[in-house]
Amino acid sequence: MFNRREETNHMPSSNGQETIIAQGVKVEGDFTSSGDVVIDGEVSGSIQTAASLRVGDTAKITADVTAAVAVIAGVVQGNVKVAERLELLETSVVDGDITCRVLSVAPGARINGRVEMGTEKTED
Amino acid sequence: MYCYIYDEFTQDKRYEKELLEIENRLTDLGLAGKTVRMALFRNVQEMVRDEIRRGAKSVIAVGNDETLHKVIDVVSGTDAVLGIIPLGSPNALAKLLGVPEGVAACDVLSARIVETIDAGIVNGKRFLTSLSVANFRSELTCDGLYRITPDVSGSLEVRNLAEDEYNTEHVSDPTDGRLETVIRVGVKQGWFGRRIMRESILPLTQLAIRSEKPIAVVADGEEMMGTRFDIGIEEGVMRVISGRGRKF
Repeated sequence: MFNRREETNHMPSSNGQETIIAQGVKVEGDFTSSGDVVIDGEVSGSIQTAASLRVGDTAKITADVTAAVAVIAGVVQGNVKVAERLELLETSVVDGDITCRVLSVAPGARINGRVEMGTEKTED
Repeated sequence: MYCYIYDEFTQDKRYEKELLEIENRLTDLGLAGKTVRMALFRNVQEMVRDEIRRGAKSVIAVGNDETLHKVIDVVSGTDAVLGIIPLGSPNALAKLLGVPEGVAACDVLSARIVETIDAGIVNGKRFLTSLSVANFRSELTCDGLYRITPDVSGSLEVRNLAEDEYNTEHVSDPTDGRLETVIRVGVKQGWFGRRIMRESILPLTQLAIRSEKPIAVVADGEEMMGTRFDIGIEEGVMRVISGRGRKF
């Protein structure tokens, strides 16, 4: 009887270019986007965006990630290449190599891999 | 040349007075044209096609959303401009286009603000508003690159020109060359397994639904059954007359 109640989350609506992968869906394959991307669900394969990427704390990513700017709060198993700024929040786990220009790591964030910083721009 | 397509229900006595006012106003504005009335056993699409062939430059549907849907497929892809004079209900599409009901719509036709918009296409059939699937649990292939599968049964909506059900302020843009694809899934959270709806939103150009069992897909209010649905977008294929209050 309790699990029949439903409510809607107040997710921001898409501006037409933003992609939101919410909790409750699985994505498999080469995910590419030219706009901002928000991931709270599961993704396996590869992720590539020319804009910003936000990985929520419920996200489980098994993929190589490429973005211009990224904020990670969830789990990423794969290499992360960010052209500009990468922010790892306290709940984040990255099992893979990181390449970025600017890195911000919150206390509690876990990195299991090589970190390369200060390069001009990452290769796509 | 204007061609007015009157839906069958507009011949009801309760619309008689309003139709007379509309016709008078159209004459005053110099927009009078040929009138074609829908009727049982008359193929409306064939009639509209004939009128366009004879030189109709503006096809105006007089009726509700369903009236408009009946003529969309024929008008899109031609040089003719599509307009609506809303009568009866539902008239959600007219509201999105900023066209007021009844006689006031004549002034919108007279101002003639023409927008070029996209149309969605599912298994070869065009749709203007949206396509939806209830109890969606199938695999969705997006832009031929990746697949999305919901963990539990949810709902799928593919919008070309439609309001967000939960946020009516938000209307998908029918001029951006993309279909706003929304997957809603209830995710259990907490001790009591309370369900919270989560919404995935993807702007796509190509989608494919593959299902093991036949599923019902509703596009522009019309139901289609099947296991395979190929969905795409045709950019700028339709020209519509809209009002200043259009929502996109």
